[in-house]
Amino acid sequence: MEKLFERSIRDASKLTSLTEDDHDLFQRVDRACDELLIPEFEKYMERRYNDQVPEVLKKYHLMGIPISKKYGGEGARPLVHSLAIERFGQLGLGVVTFVDVHQSLGSLTIQEWGNEEQKQRYLTRAATGEIVLAYALTEPEAGSDPGSLKTQFRKDGSDYYLTGSKYLISNGSVADRLIVFAYPEGQTKGMTAFLVDAKEKGFAVDMKLEEKMGLFTSDTAMLSFDGLRVPREDIIGEEGRGLAVAYSALLNGRIGIASGCLGVMEDCLNQVKERTSSRMQHGKAIGKHQLIQRHIARISSNLESSRWLVYQAALKKEDYENNKSDLGLRTEADRISAVAKYVASKAAFDSADSAVQCFGGFGYSILSPVAKHLLDTRVARIYEGTDEVMELKIASTVLGKEFEAYR
Amino acid sequence: MQLHLEGSEELNLPRERVFQLLTDSSFIAKSMPDAQETKVIDESNIEARLKIGMSFLTTHMAVKMKIADRVPSQHARLYVEGAGSGSNMKITSDFDLEGETATKMKWVADAEITGVMAGIGSSILKGFAEKKVKEIFQGINKAMVQAGPGTGPGHI
Repeated sequence: MEKLFERSIRDASKLTSLTEDDHDLFQRVDRACDELLIPEFEKYMERRYNDQVPEVLKKYHLMGIPISKKYGGEGARPLVHSLAIERFGQLGLGVVTFVDVHQSLGSLTIQEWGNEEQKQRYLTRAATGEIVLAYALTEPEAGSDPGSLKTQFRKDGSDYYLTGSKYLISNGSVADRLIVFAYPEGQTKGMTAFLVDAKEKGFAVDMKLEEKMGLFTSDTAMLSFDGLRVPREDIIGEEGRGLAVAYSALLNGRIGIASGCLGVMEDCLNQVKERTSSRMQHGKAIGKHQLIQRHIARISSNLESSRWLVYQAALKKEDYENNKSDLGLRTEADRISAVAKYVASKAAFDSADSAVQCFGGFGYSILSPVAKHLLDTRVARIYEGTDEVMELKIASTVLGKEFEAYR
Repeated sequence: MQLHLEGSEELNLPRERVFQLLTDSSFIAKSMPDAQETKVIDESNIEARLKIGMSFLTTHMAVKMKIADRVPSQHARLYVEGAGSGSNMKITSDFDLEGETATKMKWVADAEITGVMAGIGSSILKGFAEKKVKEIFQGINKAMVQAGPGTGPGHI
């Protein structure tokens, strides 16, 4: 079956030049995806975390795709990273979530905000897969409004002690290190980002959240911290600048999720093409019925309309990375990544719905290759910024800052 | 849905012996993994009931196999036709043998699958089929080693 990956690489190379290293990376991503295809299917059926994902990524040196070569990563630029995640998306959003959280929300955040010592200590190990990273912002009572976090820290000498809980944390129970956000005790300003050690006393996985609608192969957990000690050297960025750290991480994360959604749509298109060409009803292949063709046109259009937007977001991120003093570039990258995530996640959900429809009754079974996409993509419209938060963000860039709805 | 698989196996037995065993319906019947029942009809035909498991999908299939197109020590073809648990399959496999003291067996299989099993999609199905084929050849290889280099039928 056509992977539609080569076409993406070809199209992306029309936008920007890709190096031999990039092509080598794509080949390794492709091989890793082939190797993960059956384990991912089996784990999905068992509704369990796919623990083979980090192992296979390690084998192909893919744990640190966007991490600088200086720290042992592949040094992939945002567009190349986006294309790699697009390919993982063909396997499903479970794999994408692991990759995006470890790399975009975890590693890139340390790379952008960490000091040299932290990069040497953690980024090098994240790049080889020696440690897995997670990002813990959401709480039971703080979702779209990170300002309402309840997790707090107390300072004692050069140590900080965290108390609180985090909810719906991807990679939460499998991560070795987690970027955790907290306010100073009794305050609602001065949010700080900490790189927490999951082995430290006071860290607990309260619950593995397995009763999900989908995304079964991704680990999701509720965590609690009870006076968890974090040394000063494990603060990411400056003390009190946690909100800026959180938002910059989400910019990366959104491009990752949008890229994964492209892969989902590609898989939907492939699966539907095969199914509707071979499934016979009323004496002919169902693909010859025009109402089925409408679904195929819809998936194909969803994919095309999202693809260029996602690549554009990745390229804008590159522009900003190449000129970090230009805040206008950052604002533009932030805006277009919100648009890309908003459009691609809705398009992927809609495409998965159309794909299930083309599969008929069998499409309702998770044995079909498309049902999982319908179940999984629903969360893409919620995590790393809900549809509504994306709409507010996009609208305020049109209307101006004074129109920001949450001011 | 159409599936195409191909590969090769190294067998540590002379080519004549591999051919003899490979075209021996009793030997094939006995060395088949997943077989719940087998019945050798004659030197070319076998009937079997297979339990094929793919993750959570377990299919029970009644299959008919026919060994054909024998070219001594060189080539044989195996036709498999089966139905059950809402799925149907037709497989044509060609085997070509090379080598003298040890044998290289090249094989090509084309399958047509319809029904429930086809719904899983060719990419997943191909992955499982490759895994299954590997098991089948491991089984045959093991059985061939047990049967040894003798010239008689393969009693295992």
